[in-house]
Amino acid sequence: MAYLSISNVTKQFGDTVVVDNFNLDIEKGEFVSFLGPSGCGKTTTLRMVAGFEIPTSGKILLDGKDITDKAPNQRNVGMIFQSYALFPNMTVSQNIGFGLRVRKESEATIKQRVDEMVGLINLEKHANKYPYQLSGGQQQRVSLARALANRPQVLLLDEPLSALDAKIRVSLRAEIRAIQKSLGITAIFVTHDQEEALSISDRIVVMNVGEMEQVGTPFEIYNFPKTRFVANFVGSLNTSDAEVVDPAKGFVSVDGVKFTAAEGTENRKKGDKVKIAIRPERLSFASEHKKANVVDATIENITFLGSVVRIQVKIGNTKFNMDTFNNPFLELPRVGSKEQVTCSKEAVLVLDE
Amino acid sequence: MNFSSRLRRIPFWSWVWFILGTLYFLLPLYATLDFSLQMERDVIGLKAYEKAFEDKDFIETFTYSNLLAIATIVMSIILIVPTAYWIRLRLPEARRIVEFLTLMPFVVPAIILVFGLIRIYSSSVMIPFTDIVLIPPLTNYKFGTNILVVAGYMVLAMPYMYRSVDTGMRTVDVLTLTEAAQSLGASWFTIITRIILPNIRAALLSGALLTFAIVVGEVTLASFLGIDAFGPYLFLLGQHRAYEPAALSFVSFILTWIAMGLIQLVTGGQGQTTGAH
Ligand SMILES: Nc1ncnc2c1ncn2[C@@H]1O[C@H](COP(=O)(O)OP(=O)(O)OP(=O)(O)O)[C@@H](O)[C@H]1O
Ligand SMILES: [Mg+2]
Repeated sequence: MAYLSISNVTKQFGDTVVVDNFNLDIEKGEFVSFLGPSGCGKTTTLRMVAGFEIPTSGKILLDGKDITDKAPNQRNVGMIFQSYALFPNMTVSQNIGFGLRVRKESEATIKQRVDEMVGLINLEKHANKYPYQLSGGQQQRVSLARALANRPQVLLLDEPLSALDAKIRVSLRAEIRAIQKSLGITAIFVTHDQEEALSISDRIVVMNVGEMEQVGTPFEIYNFPKTRFVANFVGSLNTSDAEVVDPAKGFVSVDGVKFTAAEGTENRKKGDKVKIAIRPERLSFASEHKKANVVDATIENITFLGSVVRIQVKIGNTKFNMDTFNNPFLELPRVGSKEQVTCSKEAVLVLDE
Repeated sequence: MNFSSRLRRIPFWSWVWFILGTLYFLLPLYATLDFSLQMERDVIGLKAYEKAFEDKDFIETFTYSNLLAIATIVMSIILIVPTAYWIRLRLPEARRIVEFLTLMPFVVPAIILVFGLIRIYSSSVMIPFTDIVLIPPLTNYKFGTNILVVAGYMVLAMPYMYRSVDTGMRTVDVLTLTEAAQSLGASWFTIITRIILPNIRAALLSGALLTFAIVVGEVTLASFLGIDAFGPYLFLLGQHRAYEPAALSFVSFILTWIAMGLIQLVTGGQGQTTGAH
């Protein structure tokens, strides 16, 4: 039995279905991200776990107990908001101790736990400051400590890093992950930033307009996207219309150029219209090392992106991006020249049109 | 930009209007002060103030009105804070209706309010179609009258109190703070007393001081309900004496200013705490 189990949960606002038949089991200590575009129902799902919304139908079980209809203050669930939501009238210590005070813990326990939490987030020097005296990153750390001080059964984070600038965002997410691991706390993290989800999670739930598209480890989600939406949303991707030529052998044709796919054609017929998708980093020049697919291409454009060089090539009538690691000794082809480009069978994903 | 260059940027006509406006307020005040100091012939002195403060009725009515003001403020806070809070949290649609209702005292004069109160509460209020008395005639005894007065004052002070509280709640993210507190296990009572009230304390103070000013000077309700409050006392004094009312007016001016200064002080302090980096 999973620690947190969300089963058949649907949420409607009026006639609009915002979350549709959501099913997810989360193990104790797991870090799960909800990833999806704006308005797909991530926050709503999280708020149902927190108790701020009641599902229209379905059940939520936490540690075997049905919490579906429990008030938020009756569940032991920690919540972190994008806007930090620190109490402006309280110092850092008072904010962190608030939940313990509400639960009528002894002053000694409160003091000890607050000190422990302040140490955990490295804000010893700021314990007596008010929220307005702290930077955004520090405020969000206080909010993390405040939620953790109560020893919640689940920690819910709703885009906690969105209001911060890029550098802090990356360092704070590592800090959140490290703290989560060291405490072994179960966490759900909502984000619409795919890089954030990939780097921080044990598992990712990719969502699209109220439905779950795919659930899997970051590795699975990135390398084996099951739907076109996932493939497009996570990582960058070349997609092209194609036609099945030989379902058994995995042959598909893009404007007459033949590709072989490892899987995805078995259940289709010759002549079926499909999409193929190839990640830019899976393409390379055939002059270096030939793989299963070798096709002719024309170099269209070269963009230097720092650690990566993005080369746009034209295969048939379709433009593909190809990423190679930057290397000062790399000899880049000229724009307009003809080259052979290669990729493995596994790199060619066959998706529904 | 330093202060003097900021002053120079203010256009000439703004200065003219500012000075005219200031004179408009200050001249009567000065005249009142000047007059109040001349009670004894050919001597400038505080005789009028002494007389005014010595009067036994002054002390009694003033104390009584202060108590009424405090009761009104406390009851208004108990009624209005949860109402404004709930509207912000759960009933944003009701906001315009409630705002309109709170403005009614500006539309319906106090005299109508007091006659309505007297008409309804001078006899027993029954549960319709039965003989069961819901509320005994309130105007017949002192405590009942006090309840009526305070209720009436709550109505008169509502536009100020509601607006102050609502504005105060706009400056903090009431909804998210509420949810944060709830997820930490707090009950509604805890949230209102420990999170909401402290964060709108400046707004509460300004609402309270305005309420105070209204209640202490109020005449209509107090005279028609026949209570010995400060408003009617001042009114009578004005009809029978010359110098003492001037002295009391000046004192109340000064008190109002001190109150305004206090609001500024507290509001300034809070403006800082709500601004994040
Ligand atoms: N209280 C509500 N009443 C009506 N509709 C709502 C309510 N809350 C959310 N919605 C709608 O539900 C949909 C999903 O909202 P939700 O906030 O869960 O999206 P999200 O995935 O968190 O998006 P974002 O990334 O923008 O935060 C949206 O279309 C939103 O307009
Ligand atoms: Mg959201």
